[in-house]
Amino acid sequence: MDTIYKWFNERLPISNTFERHLSKHPVPKKVNFWYLFGALASVVLIVQILSGIWLMFGYENSEEGAFASVEYIMRDIDYGWLIRYMHTTGASMFFAVVYLHMFRGLLYGSYKKPRELVWIFGMSIYLIMMAEGFLGYVLPYGQMSYWGAQVIISLFGAIPYIGESLEIWIRGDYYISGSTISRFFALHVVALPLMLIALVFMHLVALHEVGAGNPEGIDIEKHLDDDGIPLDSVPFFPYKVLNALVGIGVFGTVFAIFMFFFPEGGGYFIEAPNFEEANPLSTPEHIAPVWYYSPYYSMLRAVPDKLGGFVVMAAAVAILFVVPWLDRSKVNSIRYKGIWSKIAILLFAVSFITLGYLGTVPVTEIRTLMSIICTVIYFSFFLLMPIYTSFEKTSVPPERL
Amino acid sequence: MEQNPDKTRRKVLISMTASVGAVGAAFAVTPFIASWNPSAKAKAMGAPVKVDISRIEVGQIIQVAWRKQPVFVVRHSKNALESLGKIENKLADPNSVSIEEPYRDLHPTRSKSNEYSVLAGVCTHLGCAPKYHPEVEPKPWDATWLGGFFCPCHGSMFDIVGRVFKGVPAPTNLKVPPHNFQGNTLTIGEDKT
Amino acid sequence: MKHITSLFFVIFAAYMFSAGDGAPCGDYGECDTFEPDLWNNESLQKGFSTYINYCYGCHSLKYSRWNRIATDLDIPEDLMFKYLIFDSEVKSGDLMTGSMIKFNAEQWFGVAPPDLTLVTRAHSPEWVYTYLRTFYEDGSKQYGVNNLVYPGAAMPNVLLSLQGQQILGCKDMLTYASNGGVKRDETGNNITEERCGYLLSLNNGQLSTEEFDQLIYDLTNFLTYVGEPAKRVRERMGWYVIFFFIIFTALAHLLYREYQKDYH
Repeated sequence: MDTIYKWFNERLPISNTFERHLSKHPVPKKVNFWYLFGALASVVLIVQILSGIWLMFGYENSEEGAFASVEYIMRDIDYGWLIRYMHTTGASMFFAVVYLHMFRGLLYGSYKKPRELVWIFGMSIYLIMMAEGFLGYVLPYGQMSYWGAQVIISLFGAIPYIGESLEIWIRGDYYISGSTISRFFALHVVALPLMLIALVFMHLVALHEVGAGNPEGIDIEKHLDDDGIPLDSVPFFPYKVLNALVGIGVFGTVFAIFMFFFPEGGGYFIEAPNFEEANPLSTPEHIAPVWYYSPYYSMLRAVPDKLGGFVVMAAAVAILFVVPWLDRSKVNSIRYKGIWSKIAILLFAVSFITLGYLGTVPVTEIRTLMSIICTVIYFSFFLLMPIYTSFEKTSVPPERL
Repeated sequence: MEQNPDKTRRKVLISMTASVGAVGAAFAVTPFIASWNPSAKAKAMGAPVKVDISRIEVGQIIQVAWRKQPVFVVRHSKNALESLGKIENKLADPNSVSIEEPYRDLHPTRSKSNEYSVLAGVCTHLGCAPKYHPEVEPKPWDATWLGGFFCPCHGSMFDIVGRVFKGVPAPTNLKVPPHNFQGNTLTIGEDKT
Repeated sequence: MKHITSLFFVIFAAYMFSAGDGAPCGDYGECDTFEPDLWNNESLQKGFSTYINYCYGCHSLKYSRWNRIATDLDIPEDLMFKYLIFDSEVKSGDLMTGSMIKFNAEQWFGVAPPDLTLVTRAHSPEWVYTYLRTFYEDGSKQYGVNNLVYPGAAMPNVLLSLQGQQILGCKDMLTYASNGGVKRDETGNNITEERCGYLLSLNNGQLSTEEFDQLIYDLTNFLTYVGEPAKRVRERMGWYVIFFFIIFTALAHLLYREYQKDYH
């Protein structure tokens, strides 16, 4: 055994990599539950990849066969229902975990120097995930798949001059047909997952280069022991791993409650009209996106202009990328930031959730007004950030964790 | 043990967590493995098939697809069945002792009928479909051929009721699928009537 | 910070579970309540039989297989073939693709009758349960009936002889003051107002209202089952999985606490 290990180790950086990134990798010793969502996100990613591969065994990517093949998976394949619900629930859980992970970043300044790249890779992962989720939702070719795709693809029609031909090019047809399904399928199961895995890898490599943050927002590298290891750190294994196991246990319980008892998530994970096969001649009465897109959908509806709505929606995602350069505060963590930052992040969270809610219900005049207000708050949080973070009075974080 | 009770507690906790985790993993793997079993659709496609055998002439063979696999139904002449004993010295396993024979010692045809053989047309070597050569005449592969099946892939030989010859690549006799006869109707894939 | 966190979750929870808008059962308003009982094989069998006798002629269950239903509902296959399968070509593992040719159907009804395998999922069991009980006489329609839940349904009321006719009528209803109390006149009598759009039964069917409701209950129960046959196993399995995760979390937590002693 030893000789075999030695043979490989001389040719592959096994023990080096293992020690550097797992067994001896130093992590801050005192973090709170907000720091678990990264590990949980990687767990869901694995769940999604595995269940996705297994769904492909039964799925048929054609206009005639797609819808029936999903029911085939649900009924005719042993445990097919379990694997499908794992995937559909997993999609929502992925977004839930990633939204909390991102909010953690905003709370504790995880994007601040030197972690800008970690944040940017993370945001790219989020962007790919949104595309991945959308493409995946089209594949069962139910009514919501069809009309959701119709709406999203029509957004590209808002682009001046090339819009209309771009729509046709994306669909490969004059309506969302078998050609659209085939290409969406290939993108959903191969192209985007490859990008996702590559980005997750980069996210982690960059993170391990600069070290994980902590809720105090302080640099633990300032106080090292004789071996050059931060005094306020513990090795990743076993301490962080055990911490993650507890998180996985709790998360698994929540996952199982949804997956086994509320797989449609009350219509927020799988919408009822998607149990009807796509019918290009009849739109369902109420089209709403799945919950994880609904904040952006509200913004889209709040703007009474096709191109404008599209731009606002794209900007809402794009602006997240530049947060590291918008935050001018001397401190990282919300704990030591001033009152303005605290109010701002509270308003931001409330407006984002309100937008999310509004995106799932039909429009009324008052709701449109609320959407507009929340959209303004959403953007103000970011655009005013350079101002309130540089002028407000911050307190001094402790030296040690 | 006494000097460090902490260590014991850790060991117990580790082994408990690990074994609970292992049980969980085993259960988690089950659906993924089970989902590779034939689906309800495959099972419906593989349902028993019924064949009208009255139109098969003596010495003739018909090929029926069951589970998308060839099944041979051969109608033997009295003569051919009576001379089955003559070939036994050439056979590797004339009484099918090395395989699970469903209708052992019922009829020389190896089936539930004294006239028809029902054989899975899948060579027990590597799965090709053997060809039926009923003629009693010298063949390129056997100068003293008394009729039977010859597999074009790797030259395995079987007699007219599917028993394998000595010295050929195929290890065992052709399988007899479950079947039953009701008058002129043969049902392949189901034992009971 | 704690406050922000907890506020965040409270708001989140409040939004997740707030009710949607619009009357789910059309002109009828709120749907009648319906609690499926998926382990009640007797009810499911009755519903299955009602479906085959009254609905299957037009509405297929094309994602479901005969033998799956027989196994799940504990119906011996030979009895199913004898009493419920009228087509001699059908084999037990076949999909229930219906007995009506699509071309004919479109000629007769203007639209092909939809497949109903997933009707309880595309709408809801409550919706189906209410829909099937809210047909009323309406001479202006092609089939002489209309429906409160789904106005303009291009479908005859095949259960008419069982339920008897219903008409849309008016009732004297209590009126309410703005404080929620019943309005009364000076003499203390309740003030009533005639409101219209209510179903009134002519009670000329073969079944009593209770019997008919039970028939529709069983039918809807069956449709709920057939919409997702795995549901009853799913919920049973869910308890085991949750139980597992709770045990696992407890053990992992103890282990984590034990190791935390190293640096606390």
